[in-house]
Amino acid sequence: MKPVAVTGLGVVSPFGAGVKAYWEGISGGVCAIRPITLIDTEGFRCRIGAEVPDSLGGSARRSRADRFALAAAREAIDDAGIGRAERGDTALIVGAVGGGMLEAEAWYWQRARGGAAPLPRALASCFPSSHVDVVGSVLGIGGPRETVVTACSSGAASLAMAADLVRDGVVPVALAGGVDALTRICFMGFNTLKLLDPAPCRPFDRDRRGMSIGEGAAFVVLEEVGHARARDARVYAELTGYGMSTDAFHVTSPHPEGEGMIRAMRAALAQAGITAASVGYANAHGTATPQNDRIEARALREVFGDGGLLVSSTKSMIGHTMAAAGTLEAVATVLALGHEVVPPTARLENTDPDIPFDCVPRVAREVAVEHAISNSFGFGGQNVTLVFRRVA
Amino acid sequence: MSGRRVAITGAGVVDGGHASGVLSRLLDETEARRLSHVCQMTVAAGRMALADAGLAGGTELALLIGTEFGDMVSTIRFVDDYLQRGIPGLSALRFPHTVMNTMAATAAIAVSAKDLSLTLNVPTVAGELAIARGAAAVRAGRIAACLAGGADEPPRLVLDTFREAGAGADVRGEGAGFVVLEPLDAARARGARILGEIVAEAWRALAVRPHGVGRATRSRAIAVALAGAGAEPAEIGLVYTSANGDGPREAWERALLDEALAPYRPPQRSLSLPAGRHSGLAARSVATAATEAGDGLALVHAVARGGNQVAIVVAGSRDRAA
Repeated sequence: MKPVAVTGLGVVSPFGAGVKAYWEGISGGVCAIRPITLIDTEGFRCRIGAEVPDSLGGSARRSRADRFALAAAREAIDDAGIGRAERGDTALIVGAVGGGMLEAEAWYWQRARGGAAPLPRALASCFPSSHVDVVGSVLGIGGPRETVVTACSSGAASLAMAADLVRDGVVPVALAGGVDALTRICFMGFNTLKLLDPAPCRPFDRDRRGMSIGEGAAFVVLEEVGHARARDARVYAELTGYGMSTDAFHVTSPHPEGEGMIRAMRAALAQAGITAASVGYANAHGTATPQNDRIEARALREVFGDGGLLVSSTKSMIGHTMAAAGTLEAVATVLALGHEVVPPTARLENTDPDIPFDCVPRVAREVAVEHAISNSFGFGGQNVTLVFRRVA
Repeated sequence: MSGRRVAITGAGVVDGGHASGVLSRLLDETEARRLSHVCQMTVAAGRMALADAGLAGGTELALLIGTEFGDMVSTIRFVDDYLQRGIPGLSALRFPHTVMNTMAATAAIAVSAKDLSLTLNVPTVAGELAIARGAAAVRAGRIAACLAGGADEPPRLVLDTFREAGAGADVRGEGAGFVVLEPLDAARARGARILGEIVAEAWRALAVRPHGVGRATRSRAIAVALAGAGAEPAEIGLVYTSANGDGPREAWERALLDEALAPYRPPQRSLSLPAGRHSGLAARSVATAATEAGDGLALVHAVARGGNQVAIVVAGSRDRAA
């Protein structure tokens, strides 16, 4: 595969706005999972999550998720130095699930309970595709615009799709990312599935009891390498390959042998033209559900063998940010390569003996890694693996 | 366009009055009992298209579904269950349907589509976008074959709310539809019936505010698609549009087509009326365009409020005999 340069990053995370705050949080092993304040959690088994702090700002006419998307996208495109003139030929791909549902829910709750519910402006923005329209319109992006929904791998899928457009020569530059705000539906649904830990999640721990939910957004500017060189852009890393597969097994459960995960990882390595042995770090999907972590570890072992690979879960610090997770974790992977620091798995005390990897417990590790992968898996057995290479 | 030639080898659409008969014939008992209506239509349409193409599922079959509403009907039911009965009313079985990729998930299981699976959400042009994306992936050699199309079941509540909010007077329907796309050489090698060819495809965004209709009439998507096909406007003998009763949007689409194809004005048709537009109709438009293009070319075009635009150039019988 022709590599694609990563030339801009933007983040809104439970650590606040900006890539700097995000990196400080995850490299410091800080857990941002706290009691949820955004929605009513009374009566539910789990009442915690990782919320984005209120200081973000932005127009109240926009949905919370649109504000996240806009802030992260703007940071990324400014970081890359892509000016207005170039944006007319820039693609925009957004991975999303909840859209502006948080505001739509509030309207519907009030209406269902007999209140006079005025029609909120945000209701028109309740679908996932809202983000791409808002970001595209405000930032003046005139290339292809797409919204992809692959559940919790949506953010990673957006990068893969953007890379295709750059490699195919459709556009020289693409802005891609994922976004999700907390919603009542998501919170209630995962509680109903009994997948949430009442305490902050502990991926890969022997005593893990489930995931924590979170929210945020992240965007990445992907650029044809020659184009980036020609304008002397700073290159954080290269996206050298991806793999996407579908389990076609169960609507919510992954294939018990990780068959689809394995295919995604192997396809990504093949596209990147590298061997498994050359990969030093895997930013895992690592949700902390007993089943997911066990199956992901099995799949990682099948592809990479026991031992050398460092594996950590960003979700241990910011929870599972749904459609944003794949991009937030891709950004973590890119930063890990550049800083030569692998972020830790927070709160990991006793690594599950079924997980035969160094899961970087609690404290970041200084290590120079040449190639790293980021795994994202979603409902419907939707698997995405991204491969990044460090640049000198 | 450079890359592999893309054949259309099958099509299947489930909608309108015949939908219930098709569903009872193509779904098993468990699917009929457990899947939501939009997922049932998606599964049935996928099976129809694959059977038409004589193709089986497996690790080399991808799935691309465009949708405007996803399974919003189930989402509303999930919420209503909570509002009426509290926490005990919440259904763990219904929750996955609140995620818009639920149709892709259930269809992938039903037809064993194990390569990539993408759900694309956008108003009006979702099915066309999924087909264009699928064609581009086949052309680039990234996938060996795909089901590409769309599915929708617009909930009454949402349509009424849109109307109340002053959105367009679109006529919307429910249904699902797919075409099967694969490399022309591979299709010929396995002796498949070739319905037609997707010669070129392009999708771009026009500068418009969200939910708005634009004034600009210069269309890069059509220009890029024509260039990719190596075709002049005069060669387009027929256009399938996305007209569905939203007057301002239809007028904009006509203006875009008029400028892009000037001075020619090939006949324009829409399959949206009277039953209503849904994302699966794109498959019917592409398959019908291939059938009716004869020795010439047809254009399948769609543009949405907000500015998303898709153009697909379809060839007909010139390759059927090849």
